[in-house]
Amino acid sequence: MTSRGTPSRFLRSVLQNGVGRYVCQLKRISIVFSKKAQSSLGARDFIEEGVVDYANKNPGTVVYVSPQPCRVPKIVAEYLNGNVREETITSKTSQQISELLTKLTNQSGLEIIRIRKPFHTDSPSIQGLWHPFTNRPPSIGPLRPQKPDSQ
Amino acid sequence: MSSFSRSAQQWATFARSWFLIDARMQPPGKIATMCSIRLQGKHKPIYHALSDCGDHVVVINSKHIAFSGNKWEQKVYSSHTGYPGGFKQVTAAQLHHKDPKAIVRLAVYGMLPRNLHRRTMMQRLHIFPEDELPYDIQANLTEELPQPREIPKKLSEYTREEIDAFPRLWTPPEDYKMK
Repeated sequence: MTSRGTPSRFLRSVLQNGVGRYVCQLKRISIVFSKKAQSSLGARDFIEEGVVDYANKNPGTVVYVSPQPCRVPKIVAEYLNGNVREETITSKTSQQISELLTKLTNQSGLEIIRIRKPFHTDSPSIQGLWHPFTNRPPSIGPLRPQKPDSQ
Repeated sequence: MSSFSRSAQQWATFARSWFLIDARMQPPGKIATMCSIRLQGKHKPIYHALSDCGDHVVVINSKHIAFSGNKWEQKVYSSHTGYPGGFKQVTAAQLHHKDPKAIVRLAVYGMLPRNLHRRTMMQRLHIFPEDELPYDIQANLTEELPQPREIPKKLSEYTREEIDAFPRLWTPPEDYKMK
């Protein structure tokens, strides 16, 4: 589709995250996988080895592990601004799943759509933005044409 | 004005001003360059061709413009009606007599960029043959631009003291007859 038909947004950060302290925007991560299926093999390996380390490294994120009978295993990531992202992890290795998790952790929750401009600033000018009266010398006397004062 | 809100600052930066130019005793080409610069918005640091940042320009006294040299008789304005045998050529003096606003208008038209914005910019140019302006245009004016050409003084406008103070080049003899 064209860029006019699809949604787009401006570049921004969530509440200037990182200027002061950094707050991880990932709220909750749910790993949905199956106990027996072949596609969830990587997920099961990851839960054996890596998920506890991940949870300890990211104390601000809640990790839910839910084994259910499901055909396609997925990771559901919820962010502080309410956005939910689902990624399927069928036939991924444990290493790939941990890489995916770091990617989701580092994202802010903003939508992944076209960014209109690759730059943004909250303080566009130090000396003040131009307006038609900056550097305009004051006019001498009132503007012509004038009615001559009746004597 | 750092105390402005975002929308107010945007409104201030992109506001359209109204300029006044007095064309009395001025060459129409110089008037036209000043007009075309301000109609395009090139006098602004925020200029961009697509952002419609031109201002309004009001030209008064266009009946009293002054061509240099013999242009009143020699400059030719040509047009064609589209019909066979419809090629018309008029001198500047004839055109000015028929329509006192035409010379300034054609000069500005030729100096604007040759794209579809030209017609919009011409709509923002207001030419008046004499001093009178309608009240609503007069109320919009923000700045009067200085005239490009310094008007030379006529001999009758010099005071007696200035004429006497001018250094004499030579003293004529007693019986010299002035022409």
